[in-house]
Amino acid sequence: MSELRQSPLGDRHRDQGAKMVPFGGWEMPLHYEDGTLAEHRRCRRDAVVFDVSHLGTVRVDGAGAYELLQRTLTNDLTKIEPGRAQYTHLLDADDASVADDIIVWWLAPDQFDVMPNASNTDGVTSAFAAGDCSVVDVTADRAILAVQGPNAVEKFAAVHPDAAGVGRFRVGTFQWEGVEIRVAGTGYTGEPGVECAVPRAAASALWEAVVAADIGPAGLGARDTLRLEAGLPLHGNELGPGITPLQAGLGWVVGWDKPTFRGRPALAAEREAGITRRLRGLRVDGRRPPRHGQVVLRDGEPVGQVSSGNFSPMLEQGIALAFVEPTVAVGDHLQIDQRGTRAEAEVVSLPFWPPTD
Amino acid sequence: MNVPEDLRYSSDHEWAQLDGSRARVGITDYAQDALGDVVFVELPEVGSPIEAGASVGEVESTKSVSDIYAPLSGTVVQVNDALGESPELLNDDPYGDGWIMVVEVADESQFDALLDPVAYRALTED
Repeated sequence: MSELRQSPLGDRHRDQGAKMVPFGGWEMPLHYEDGTLAEHRRCRRDAVVFDVSHLGTVRVDGAGAYELLQRTLTNDLTKIEPGRAQYTHLLDADDASVADDIIVWWLAPDQFDVMPNASNTDGVTSAFAAGDCSVVDVTADRAILAVQGPNAVEKFAAVHPDAAGVGRFRVGTFQWEGVEIRVAGTGYTGEPGVECAVPRAAASALWEAVVAADIGPAGLGARDTLRLEAGLPLHGNELGPGITPLQAGLGWVVGWDKPTFRGRPALAAEREAGITRRLRGLRVDGRRPPRHGQVVLRDGEPVGQVSSGNFSPMLEQGIALAFVEPTVAVGDHLQIDQRGTRAEAEVVSLPFWPPTD
Repeated sequence: MNVPEDLRYSSDHEWAQLDGSRARVGITDYAQDALGDVVFVELPEVGSPIEAGASVGEVESTKSVSDIYAPLSGTVVQVNDALGESPELLNDDPYGDGWIMVVEVADESQFDALLDPVAYRALTED
């Protein structure tokens, strides 16, 4: 087994009593002393900071950068402009399944930071067979801090007022304590906030400044329950081999107006034929957390499978994302087989939080 | 790790406290720490016979599900219903308000065969 990669903030996490776990080839904090539920609730009510340095950063730089991304990734860069971020997918060329879901930071007309999931960074780097631009994995050079929550912007302003005001899905470059930081109004919790890329050598100082601004640390456990409540997909569960953006309910990520992107013919064929399963949200009657792989039934007949499930700390009941037959609709009553016990569940519109009904 | 002196322990990380022929049972501090935040507990039914080493319920945390194993054979005479609404008691007070069940013990010699605090502490420090 190869050695786990360490975040530049690893010592900070240990100082703060983090329980460290392997994740995507990295050793990262699962939770700190207060635990996952407390960290989750703090993010919903106040503000927290996550170390997300395990996300990749692939810098695509040069005259051909725009064309390269526009013909490779699904989303359409003509919908945005430099200084903005966009959620997009890299598809498998043959079956249009989602090889990775990615946030692109468009920093300058010819410069992009492409941010894949930890374990997919090499695959994404190689998908950008160099055109008229350089493609460099700069993951090891920086840390990324995600400051999230209803008070995130106000509290982060004590650290850097301009960076805190960057705006939703906008990107900016700022000076902080003599180094350049790159900040985007993005996140993975359903709350407002910013994600901040800082050079490795300054990472601990920025982390400490954020914590000193009364923004408590939160780990991967809370990150997962928060994204689940927000109805956001996790690569490996809701996206991955055999799963297309259309099945995941993410058709808006696909720039059909573009003449080409990787996997377009296969995805167009699926759109024509109709999807055979679709991702839905299920609210369970009771606290018991549904789990990945559990069978979903309608009137006793299997209609799908749970892709992610857990306990919702805000709703105080079990919630699940599940791939089910396309005939299943919001408001339907289903059952989830939880190791032999059948839990009643209702199909609800996403996100789970904030509730829409 | 908190390992109270007046309890006995199973290698499955349950504790037991004998009072006459009845034993109060729960999970250890080590177990609750390894589980993380507990969000659901499935308790055995009062009156059900249980066998040492067999699963009698489940504990679910935000990250995983674990079986509750009976440390002793006997009959369940009481369960901690407060865990239904407040499963976090397992984390907050595993040897007190987070107890799981009381068992009418079939054979008290089974209790003596459980690990003493020194042996259990050694097990968790391996």
